Amino acid sequence: MIAAIGLVVGIILGLLLTPDVPTWLEPYLPIAVVAALDAVFGALRAFLDGIFNDKVFVISFVSNVVIAALIVFLGDKLGVGAQLSTGVVVVLGIRIFSNVAAIRRHIFHA
Amino acid sequence: MSSPAEQQQERISIGLIEYLSRHTLDEDYEQIARNRPGRRSTWLATAAMMATLALFGVLVFTAASQTTRNASTAEHDRTTLIDQVNARRASVQERNDRIRALRKENDQLDTDLLAGGQSGSGVFERVRRLSVLTGAVTVKGQGVRVVVDDAPNATSDRNKVLDSDLQKLVNGLWEAGAEAISINGQRLTNLSAIRQAGLAINVDYRPLTAPYTVLAIGNPNTLPSRFAETTHGATWFDLQKQVGLRFDMKTDRSLVLPAADELSLRYATRAKEESR
Repeated sequence: MIAAIGLVVGIILGLLLTPDVPTWLEPYLPIAVVAALDAVFGALRAFLDGIFNDKVFVISFVSNVVIAALIVFLGDKLGVGAQLSTGVVVVLGIRIFSNVAAIRRHIFHA
Repeated sequence: MSSPAEQQQERISIGLIEYLSRHTLDEDYEQIARNRPGRRSTWLATAAMMATLALFGVLVFTAASQTTRNASTAEHDRTTLIDQVNARRASVQERNDRIRALRKENDQLDTDLLAGGQSGSGVFERVRRLSVLTGAVTVKGQGVRVVVDDAPNATSDRNKVLDSDLQKLVNGLWEAGAEAISINGQRLTNLSAIRQAGLAINVDYRPLTAPYTVLAIGNPNTLPSRFAETTHGATWFDLQKQVGLRFDMKTDRSLVLPAADELSLRYATRAKEESR
């Protein structure tokens, strides 16, 4: 419940502020969003498993976003940015898929 | 849960993808649940969680709106460019039309002037005859139609028609007695240039592509044989035989050659005439 309120507040804030992303940050934004999605779905699954912990969530969220952006940044500097982003997206995608599958099992018992 | 050593072993034995899909949940959740069961969360942690989720919302929204904005900007740029291209093309067309109209008017004025003068009609006749030779007017007559093309399956420049080949062909035809020549509809004047520019051959700065149809007005009975006797003609028959360039010469009873688009003298200007 509280979580949903937080999410809604965030979206409204985004709608009101429409923050302008600086150009140097632009390539890392999509990757950061995917990493954040992974953390959020992980948290939802942990919540349904009954082992959710807010501290772990905050830490996993922040570290996910930062590390994902960092990997892509490093890749850009080394000239393999596109390939590394693909790798990050694949790994996070696998995680998101299996977490969503677990959530589905919880909700539909199937 | 298993010990770190066992986890390490598992990671090695089952491969990365399999390991990834088995361990999707952050292990910290389980660890904390195991070590400190039933612990209440502090309000600070709850606030941090809410802030994080708010941040997530902002992040998602920003990324989405940014992508949409970028897409619309790119689309806008594209349409602007297309508009510019079309506008320029239209203005070029317009100017070409104007050039044609002005030239027609000039010709008309010339004709009137010469026809009106007393000694005019002789000059007028001369101008008419000369303009046939210089390519200023459309001409018709009998002659030959020559089609040349690259060798089939041409790979290198060696078996393609080059500008020098076309130059030789045209020079050979002049030498054989042609009175007017055009290549792919481009009338050759005495100042026409045939030059390679990249992949295409430019004739009078208009790019042409193979096959090249060369129309030459002249005596159809003697033109082919006299062409064959010239050095350039011999070179062409060599090219045909050695490299496989296509060369096709046929006589034609009625050819129509258009007037040249551009008739400009680069250096010569008219000396002042004494008034009549």
